[in-house]
Amino acid sequence: MKSVSKKMKKALIIGIDGVPYSLLNAYIKKDVMPNLKKILSQGFRLHQMNASIPDVSSVSWTSFNTGVNPGEHGIYGFTDLKPDSYSLCFPNLRDVKAPPFWDILGKGNRKTSTLFQMYHPRIVHPYRSIIFNVPHTYPASPMNGILISGFVAIDLKKAIFPESVYPYLRSINYLIDVEAEKAKEDKGMFMQSLFECFEIRKKAISHFFEEESWDLLFACITESDRLHHFFFDASEDKGNPYYESFLRFYVELDKFVKYLYDEFTQRYSGKGFFMILSDHGFAPLKKEVYLNRFLEEKGFLVLKKDGNFYERIEEGTKAFDMDPGRIYLHDRDRYPRGAVKKEEKLNLLKEIKEALTSLKGEDGKKIIERIYEKEEIYHGPYSGVAPDLVCLPKDGYDLKGSLERREIFGQNLFTGMHTWHDAFCLLPEEITFSDKPSIQNLTEFILQYHAE
Amino acid sequence: MDHLTRLENKSIYIIREAYYQFKDIAMLWSVGKDSTTLLWLCRKAFFGHIPFPIIHIDTSYKFPEMYRFRDQRAKEWNLHLLIGRNEEKLEGGMGPDQGSKLDCCNELKTNALKMIIKKYNLKAILLGIRRDEHGIRAKERYFSPRDSQFKWDYENQPAELWDQYQSMVEEEEHFRIHPILHFTELDVWSYVKREGLPIVPLYFSKEGKRFRSIGCVPCCSPIDSNAQTIDEIVEEIRTSKTSERAGRAQDKENIYTMQKLRALGYM
Amino acid sequence: MGKEERALPIVIVGHVDHGKSTLIGRLLYDTDCLPPDKYSEIQKSSEMLGRIVEFAFVMDCLEEERSRGITIDTTQTFFRTSKRRYVIIDAPGHKEFLKNMITGTSQAEAALLIIDAFEGIRDQTKRHAYILGMLGLKQICVVLNKIDLVDYSEDKFLELKTDITEFLNKLNVRPTFVLPISAIHGDNVANPSEKLSWFDGPTVLQALDTFHDLKIEEKPLRFPVQDSYQIDGKKILVGRIESGHLTKGESLYLLPGKKKVVVKSIQKFLEEGVNMAHFEESVGICLEGRHRVKRGQMLTADLSSTISDKIKANIFWMAPMGYRAGETLLFRCVTQEVRCQIEKIYRKFDPASMELTEKDASSIQSAEVADILIQLDKKVVVDPFNEIPEMGRFVLEREGRPVAGGIIL
Repeated sequence: MKSVSKKMKKALIIGIDGVPYSLLNAYIKKDVMPNLKKILSQGFRLHQMNASIPDVSSVSWTSFNTGVNPGEHGIYGFTDLKPDSYSLCFPNLRDVKAPPFWDILGKGNRKTSTLFQMYHPRIVHPYRSIIFNVPHTYPASPMNGILISGFVAIDLKKAIFPESVYPYLRSINYLIDVEAEKAKEDKGMFMQSLFECFEIRKKAISHFFEEESWDLLFACITESDRLHHFFFDASEDKGNPYYESFLRFYVELDKFVKYLYDEFTQRYSGKGFFMILSDHGFAPLKKEVYLNRFLEEKGFLVLKKDGNFYERIEEGTKAFDMDPGRIYLHDRDRYPRGAVKKEEKLNLLKEIKEALTSLKGEDGKKIIERIYEKEEIYHGPYSGVAPDLVCLPKDGYDLKGSLERREIFGQNLFTGMHTWHDAFCLLPEEITFSDKPSIQNLTEFILQYHAE
Repeated sequence: MDHLTRLENKSIYIIREAYYQFKDIAMLWSVGKDSTTLLWLCRKAFFGHIPFPIIHIDTSYKFPEMYRFRDQRAKEWNLHLLIGRNEEKLEGGMGPDQGSKLDCCNELKTNALKMIIKKYNLKAILLGIRRDEHGIRAKERYFSPRDSQFKWDYENQPAELWDQYQSMVEEEEHFRIHPILHFTELDVWSYVKREGLPIVPLYFSKEGKRFRSIGCVPCCSPIDSNAQTIDEIVEEIRTSKTSERAGRAQDKENIYTMQKLRALGYM
Repeated sequence: MGKEERALPIVIVGHVDHGKSTLIGRLLYDTDCLPPDKYSEIQKSSEMLGRIVEFAFVMDCLEEERSRGITIDTTQTFFRTSKRRYVIIDAPGHKEFLKNMITGTSQAEAALLIIDAFEGIRDQTKRHAYILGMLGLKQICVVLNKIDLVDYSEDKFLELKTDITEFLNKLNVRPTFVLPISAIHGDNVANPSEKLSWFDGPTVLQALDTFHDLKIEEKPLRFPVQDSYQIDGKKILVGRIESGHLTKGESLYLLPGKKKVVVKSIQKFLEEGVNMAHFEESVGICLEGRHRVKRGQMLTADLSSTISDKIKANIFWMAPMGYRAGETLLFRCVTQEVRCQIEKIYRKFDPASMELTEKDASSIQSAEVADILIQLDKKVVVDPFNEIPEMGRFVLEREGRPVAGGIIL
């Protein structure tokens, strides 16, 4: 028997991984998503938004979850190198240095951040949250409510808190993620399994929405990102064999959002806080760009034949790249074989930036849109380990960290790539922005709503 | 009946049952302590005359002590030894430094095994896997079906009821049988001691180091230890907190993470 | 070096929310089988959340432990008392897991049936109690958990005890103990509690310590032939002694033909002059003279077995797709594999409510229990379940997969 809550603050947040503002806008105008259109007319506004830098899901969602930049939360990508070594590691929830907003609201937190310090004293009651399928929340750790980890999660038993949700998830054959490895073998089968996974996802979200008690429910749909990686070329091309399926996904998405929104507004008489967002956008992929190969050809990177991944980095290396566009100087103080001295850095950065700027595609145009130095975008106790440069490409050119390619440009089976400038958020119309918002700016609104 | 004898009798029953149900079976021998224990149990089950082949998947990177041990036992115990090697890939220079360790294991181990299963038309393989090994393996059952893609339909495990083990069903191309699933690491060492089983000397300390589990030279690292007898090893295990495969370069979970990231193009 | 002593396998069943995780955590903690640093971690994070220490966290932390490489099997958790070791076999409590649960229970030798004292008996409780009974588990300790939620009331406890005992008796299950506990506060799990001073029974650990782990050998010999090998000119019959024991030179019956045979020798690898083979041993036997013996036949010491092609049994249907009259199944009991059909379905009932659902039915659905008559293609050798359980349990298979488990009446 759940006791009746006296708190009146309720929040529903829907995350849809990888949905671009421009596509959403187009679909709303074309009446592919009539329900979303209706929601917008009921006191909400759609904004185009910047993702995190870099724009991979682990960084972007973590920036949203914690409301701070990577300099404070410490996550710069799906991969990283263990300190003082060339060993690859995969940062997970344990490596996130700042508390997620649900821990600030739940009052059960051990980490700190600027946002935490600002809002912690203003959150008077603990709020219970259900955090469902949000990427980069694995392995699950104790919190006030229920947590079911999203990508990348390997063992379902470690992806849940508390343990008692396990039997339910097993009973519906819950999948943490659709098996992307299958896409190579049979695209049609993969499309089918994507929809099946989406069904299970919706079922589970509905279950937790209806059966559990919560003050805040944050549920993420990740099938959209998978759809886009493999089928983005179908998004607006009627001749593409997967065009119908692509559209159908968005139609189903539209219906599901309506269902959640209607239930939510009805239950709380329209008084709850509602928002939808994506963590980055998508664009058709023209070519993959292997920056490590580029750095090698320009003499910045020297690799030896044997070793695993970054263990191949030789002494003569000045800089190397990690997915998707993070350039690290081979610092003497940071890496065992590093030779770059402090005094050399300024010039080296200039050299590399010039080289990157000169990189052109087959149409003769530049492919790098923007290059940031770390001081420009990262602030906080963990900006020391940040990449020295981060490159943002022009739409169509996907920057990759592979060390095995022998050409700078290449192709793979993906037809879509992330974009950093075209994410979206849907918020109550009272919220306005003077500049284009970034994903980490949104968290504060959630905390403000709950604060006294 | 004491504990080890109970474990032993259960294993012998499973081995005999597997032979009856499948006939075209083989035992996979990694020359490690677990599969050597399994080999010994097979000898017991068939009174010294094992009626099926023993397969050693040779990546060519194994420790020399392992090859010596293997050949000695094969002679002593009159084993029908089959050596599986992925000759094609080895000629092409396949190794853990050529690409990724994952690919190397895949080609030299998994594919080599697939080839030999196909060549000899084997319906089932006996393996020396224990339930208390790391993570995902904890879910294995005594009779575990695999389809031809070597994937494992984890969700649809058949119920095992009262020792009624699964017999062949058409779609499944081969079965994996785990007769020592109920042995713990400590049980294996106790059994090795009790039976006086020979095992590869690499398990014992030499110059302050020994191997907790043995495989291919480039991917196996020894642990610090002074244990030179089985008793000392057992004591070490009891007090130690590192899992058996700490020495192995592969961390299962990292491998899966890498696979998933790769499949979406993030690596 | 000490041998690893055998742990008594126990299973904890009951409704998923009635406190199983907390009880397991408490058992581990109170017997010092939980590393101390884990406890302080749990305590810290619980305090953060403003709650009392929740032992359900223990299970989450054990998961973490496993991920860092400490050998803890997720499906088996160990704890010990001064008397012996115990291993808890994981048996989740959700409807869809009945299949797995049966597998878990069938390996257990004692069970804790957990019931929330505040909520009372639920369907899941009844279903599990039924299965415990069906599978022959006699050592059962019922724990009425969350006794704190009913203010440690003796009256409430006695009321519940009467209800549950009555229900269980209907299933022919007679629990050895019915105990009041509070797993979350630790009352009466490892230590008696002042708040339960009116209770004069044992704690959970004391109750477990009274359970036996040895099966008695005094039953008549049952040796189902598993296979027959020709080795060094000898014909060796192999199998496992499912009950009783056998001696060299002993005169036995070979069933179902009832032929009399004599044990010439008992074969064990590298052992000479073996005179006796015991219960649970997998051995080889050579018989005097030449006989045609094959798998499925039985060697027994007497003629007390049931030899028939018509058997009355009670089954629990596990597969999602039910049984339709006329379907052919495979009957498997020890090493016997015979095709059969369900000739008659006398009664069906829902194990949760114990209500008779149908008489003379023509089909059986998933999770249903039924009293049936099996018609086999040929005679088999069996014993009633409550006499020799190993010879009274069987599995029905369809297309190579078990669909039902049953016991012979």
